[in-house]
Amino acid sequence: MAPSKSPPKPSSSASEYKAIAAQFAEAKRRKEAQDAQTKEQQERISLREKVRASIEASRKSAYQTRWVWTAAFWVWLLLIHVVGIAYFTSGFLLTRLVLDERSECAMPPTANSTVPDLLPSWPGKGTVEGGCWHPRTFDRAVVVIIDALRYDFTVPVDDDAAFHNAFPFLYETAVREPRKAFLRPFIADPPTATMQRLKGLTTGTLPTFVDVGNSFSGTAIDEDNLLMQFRAAGKRVVHLGDDTWEALFPSYFEGNLSRAYDSFNVWDLHTVDNGVIENIFPAMERRGEWDVLIGHCLGVDHAGHRYGPNHPEMTKKLQQMDRFIRDLAATIDDKTVLIVMGDHGMDSKGDHGGESEDEIEAALWMYSPKGVFGRTKPEYVTPPANAKIRPLNQIDFVPTLALLMGIPIPFNNLGRPIEESFAGAKGNSWANLAAAERVTAAGIKRYQTAYFAARGIAPSTGPGTPAELWEKAESLVSAAKKQDWAAIFDAFAAYQAKNLEVCRELWARFDVKNMLFGIAITALGVVVLLAYVSRGDDDDVVVEDEELELAEKSLALQGIKPDAAALADVAEKRLVSSALLGALPVFIGGVISAYVGKSGDWYRGSGIAALTSIAAVLVTMYELHEALPRFLPKTLWGWMAVVFTVSQSIGFASNSYTIWEDSILLFFIATFGFVSALAALRLPSLADRSLAIYHSVVFVILARVASFSKLCREEQMPYCTSTYYASATSSTSAPWQLLIPFVASVILPSIIKAYLQPTRAYEGLAPTWIGYIFRAVLFMSALYWLLDAADNGAWIPGLSETNALKNLNVYFAQMLLGIALVAGTTAFAWAPPCVAVRAAASPTDPSKAQVQIFGYANAHGARYLLLPLNLLAACFLLSKPMGAGALAIMAWQVLALLEILDLHNLGSSSIGPIMLAVLGTFHFFKTGHQAVVSTIQWDAAFIPLFSVRYPWSPLVVALNTFAGQILAAACVPLLVLWKAGPKRKGLLDAVSKALGAFVAYFATEGLATMMWAGHLRRHLMLYRVFCPRFMTAAVVLLVVDLVGVGVALTGTRCNTMSIGEVFGWAE
Amino acid sequence: MPSTPAKGAAATAALSKSNKPTPSPQPAQPPSLSPPPSDEKPQPPLRPVQTKPTQLARTARHALPALQAALFLARFRALVADPVAEMSMTLPVTAALQVTYALACLPVAGSSGGKGGDEAAAAGAGAGKKTATATATATAMPARLGSGKRKAAAAADGGMRKGATTAVLSLLLSALVTPFLYITMILFGAPFLTHGSHTLLCAAHMAVLALFPLFFVRGVDGRAWAALGGFAAPLDDTFGGLVGAVVGAWLGAVPIPLDWDRDWQRWPVTILAGLYAGYLLGRVVGGTVAWGKKF
Repeated sequence: MAPSKSPPKPSSSASEYKAIAAQFAEAKRRKEAQDAQTKEQQERISLREKVRASIEASRKSAYQTRWVWTAAFWVWLLLIHVVGIAYFTSGFLLTRLVLDERSECAMPPTANSTVPDLLPSWPGKGTVEGGCWHPRTFDRAVVVIIDALRYDFTVPVDDDAAFHNAFPFLYETAVREPRKAFLRPFIADPPTATMQRLKGLTTGTLPTFVDVGNSFSGTAIDEDNLLMQFRAAGKRVVHLGDDTWEALFPSYFEGNLSRAYDSFNVWDLHTVDNGVIENIFPAMERRGEWDVLIGHCLGVDHAGHRYGPNHPEMTKKLQQMDRFIRDLAATIDDKTVLIVMGDHGMDSKGDHGGESEDEIEAALWMYSPKGVFGRTKPEYVTPPANAKIRPLNQIDFVPTLALLMGIPIPFNNLGRPIEESFAGAKGNSWANLAAAERVTAAGIKRYQTAYFAARGIAPSTGPGTPAELWEKAESLVSAAKKQDWAAIFDAFAAYQAKNLEVCRELWARFDVKNMLFGIAITALGVVVLLAYVSRGDDDDVVVEDEELELAEKSLALQGIKPDAAALADVAEKRLVSSALLGALPVFIGGVISAYVGKSGDWYRGSGIAALTSIAAVLVTMYELHEALPRFLPKTLWGWMAVVFTVSQSIGFASNSYTIWEDSILLFFIATFGFVSALAALRLPSLADRSLAIYHSVVFVILARVASFSKLCREEQMPYCTSTYYASATSSTSAPWQLLIPFVASVILPSIIKAYLQPTRAYEGLAPTWIGYIFRAVLFMSALYWLLDAADNGAWIPGLSETNALKNLNVYFAQMLLGIALVAGTTAFAWAPPCVAVRAAASPTDPSKAQVQIFGYANAHGARYLLLPLNLLAACFLLSKPMGAGALAIMAWQVLALLEILDLHNLGSSSIGPIMLAVLGTFHFFKTGHQAVVSTIQWDAAFIPLFSVRYPWSPLVVALNTFAGQILAAACVPLLVLWKAGPKRKGLLDAVSKALGAFVAYFATEGLATMMWAGHLRRHLMLYRVFCPRFMTAAVVLLVVDLVGVGVALTGTRCNTMSIGEVFGWAE
Repeated sequence: MPSTPAKGAAATAALSKSNKPTPSPQPAQPPSLSPPPSDEKPQPPLRPVQTKPTQLARTARHALPALQAALFLARFRALVADPVAEMSMTLPVTAALQVTYALACLPVAGSSGGKGGDEAAAAGAGAGKKTATATATATAMPARLGSGKRKAAAAADGGMRKGATTAVLSLLLSALVTPFLYITMILFGAPFLTHGSHTLLCAAHMAVLALFPLFFVRGVDGRAWAALGGFAAPLDDTFGGLVGAVVGAWLGAVPIPLDWDRDWQRWPVTILAGLYAGYLLGRVVGGTVAWGKKF
């Protein structure tokens, strides 16, 4: 460093002194010169440092700009999907016109008829006291609804299932005292959700999809209905139990006696029932204070949801109901009728909502000690052995109760009076029966006339139509001198039946124009996605070119600044701008025209806006490439991706392929693994070959292992055995299944480590997070399910009664979700790259030290992996033990897939995203779901919560339901980032394209299911198969879009920023 | 048709070489079973297998597929009625037909693998077979080979014995491979705990149909099998049959889920049908129009 000064020598001569001085001066000058040089050098270095920093900064800001535009493009796509789906749905979901007319006591529908009444006038005719339209039978009614009381729960069945023979009272009384009681199957109209059923049971109409839409917001019923008529007649109504009634009939009930209880806490089997039982008996004492008493018990339904029907809790619940109804019947007097019914049934796992036989077959039992019920035939005395024999429609309850209580039948009623109630104790009061049938039929006729007038359509006439049947029945009444009552009864019954059939068809009215519009928007959305994915096939492959990077940097260092605008330029920017340009004028125009013209269909504006927006984007895409992109794949892999997607989409046209989707997905996964193992034989290096075969075999075997987790849908029977729960008729896990999460928590972190080790990327945060925290969360999730099972099965006596275990478990689950999602996201956001810098002796020259960066080759992938793992941990807890095992397998499969793609060099092929999508869908089925409403595991909402809370409960259910697809979507960036070093360029673009292919799979399925559902709208299986599959596909598409932007793209940005901070900006 | 001039030339050249005494008093060890040569050196590309240029071979390779197809169709009703019984009954028949086909048409693995040498041996064997069966054969025999009738007969006898041994060994190998095919079918979603014999028999049929001829002509040459497995081999009767069988069996799974409630949807009837149809089609197409082509 500093020049050494010559040590002053002792000297006597001046010349020596001079020489020394000269030397000193020389040294000083040299030193100064050197100092100056150093300074200059330092300045130069700092200048270069500044230039470098400014390059970094400009690259960073350019990256951020590009990211924003890319995200904007995806948000636009999401909007297109929303508009397309909404449009189709608006035409597909059925609507029914709600009429405002009310029935009036003094105005029976037969009043205007030229044909005389069938019955002679009775005292008090036309008044509530005597009976408005028909002689009154009872003063008071007690209606007990036992939610989900399936018919076979109430009749003797020769087996020892937990749900059979536990509730014998109804059957016994009907057999022992047929005049006092009868029991019949009671068929619900789907959808079999409690709210829709209550609407049907009080208004007498058929539910349509718009009713479904309204029901979730819980609007009050404003159509004419039983309770409205009771209120109009001055009757006092008391309600106990399910609070759905309060939502449907606000301020209808007597405040001092009524009690409503929360209906959504399916974990809670007892609160509602105990509330009903505790309050109903005191109310029975105070019978002067009410006329109608409604009790709604939820315990049986909740036991079904929580445990499935075949569980000791169900036996207990049914036995409790048996005692309850026994006690209640004892308090009924002669002026009161007691009606016990189920509003719907339950499927083999205890859920409902759909239209399978088990879900629609409920039971109806009516009881009165007065002994007024009769049978028209002696063989009708014994209640039917199963629900296929002599079933009643649930809407028949409406005219029956109205006529028995002497109030008018609600205006919209389509049902008919129940035979037993009007046939007289001897079963031969045909005149009474015919009169009841006629007045009901006249009401129906009046409603039909009003409905057709309101819709402005003419009812069809001719042989076989309701109009003709009506004329025939009326002529029977007027023609015959000595009237054949039975024939009249049959004629009006035939009219009612035919009319019901016509109404069912009429309300299956679709708006084909809107459906086509929705399909067009969705189809063009798919075209945009395909064009986006296949754009610039060859020129912008992901590059990692050190020399190019160096050259660029040195250029930049020489002061040639790269054009910041060019850096930030991105195709998405132009696409988004043209999308806005195409959409905004039309949208605004649509809104203004709707506002000015008051046409009210502003949504048509948004539909057209979506179309013009897509058109603008397509034109821009065309300009960008100056040639139509090639959609057809060039390689075998690309073809596989196309075949998997397209063949499945075509298959959705067949109910069989839709039903067996899970097996088909396994077949595709096996095909990919098989082809990949064979293709490995072409790899030149022996090591690569063995690795590729190994990972392919692992990939396929894991899929087959996961395929043992099955939850069969009804249509798969008898070729399928459910294994997801302890048995086909329960929704709890078997003890051995509780072991699965424990095993997964031990094995999975080690497997992840093994996949990170080859690139030495198990560094940085990875060992702590994966090895300890992730493992601990998985282990504690397993523990959660163990405690849950202990609580359900009452393994620890005394604990279940106090709810202590349940309370503990909820907090436990909240903590685990907090670690997985909140702490996990924070850790991911702040984590440094998973790399380690270590010094080691240089292999060539052991005397020199060499710096090694561990994990360099997988810097992007290893760090990003932490994000899907956090999501996995959350879904792991929220799925049942069997599902947790499936998700663990899925994680392993994703890692194997990444290795396979890397070995085959398929980083930019579409097969990667498609296989990921197939995997995600496959594990949707393996986590105990099917594309039917009844397999939604609503009870998952109560894992981290005590009661329903928005928005958390729907979020938790979504995480449970779509765990497979959500995880897959979060893993999409790994397809690009896995084994990508920090200097790799063009990552964002590649991730966005991979996401495009991934979403294209779901968009194609959404489009296909939409088209098939629309095309097959008259198909027998529409509501069982095609409609649920379309709804699943639509929701999945939106979920995948959201996760794509919110997790995948955001995570990629976060990841790139972190890597860029450490290694410098490559983008 | 395979008798293009170029191939014919190759065949004659090989024939002239094969005049040297064939070292085959111990045909029990076909050379094909020797370990494959090391992979280090650049290898000549795998060549398609050429069927023997004899009249019998020509007739057999067209007649046998037709016979097999006819048999399958004739027995289809029985197969639907009782798959296990029918499949176990037809397995030996199929095996016999395949052995006949191999002996009549295919060159034995060994000197072999589509190289010129084995074609000569094959020709010799074919010729020998004819001589042995004492039919009029002289037309097909190159004059040079028949320098002495006894010598020729001896050579032919050796070739015949070699062919028979190879056929037996190939059948054995097919049997050994069957469990792996069985596992593969399970992985594709075949029933795991039930229908074991159904699946196993289906796998056996697949092995005998698609793999046996390949064992016969390629032996256990690792390089050849890597090429076959990687779909990098040129198409010929045998490889075409394999590809057809795999694709056919894959497509055979398609009608299973349909709710038509037909008896023929029973496991594994459709797979077997796809397998036979695909194999026969692949074999014919691979041996004719697509011969020598690569994927």
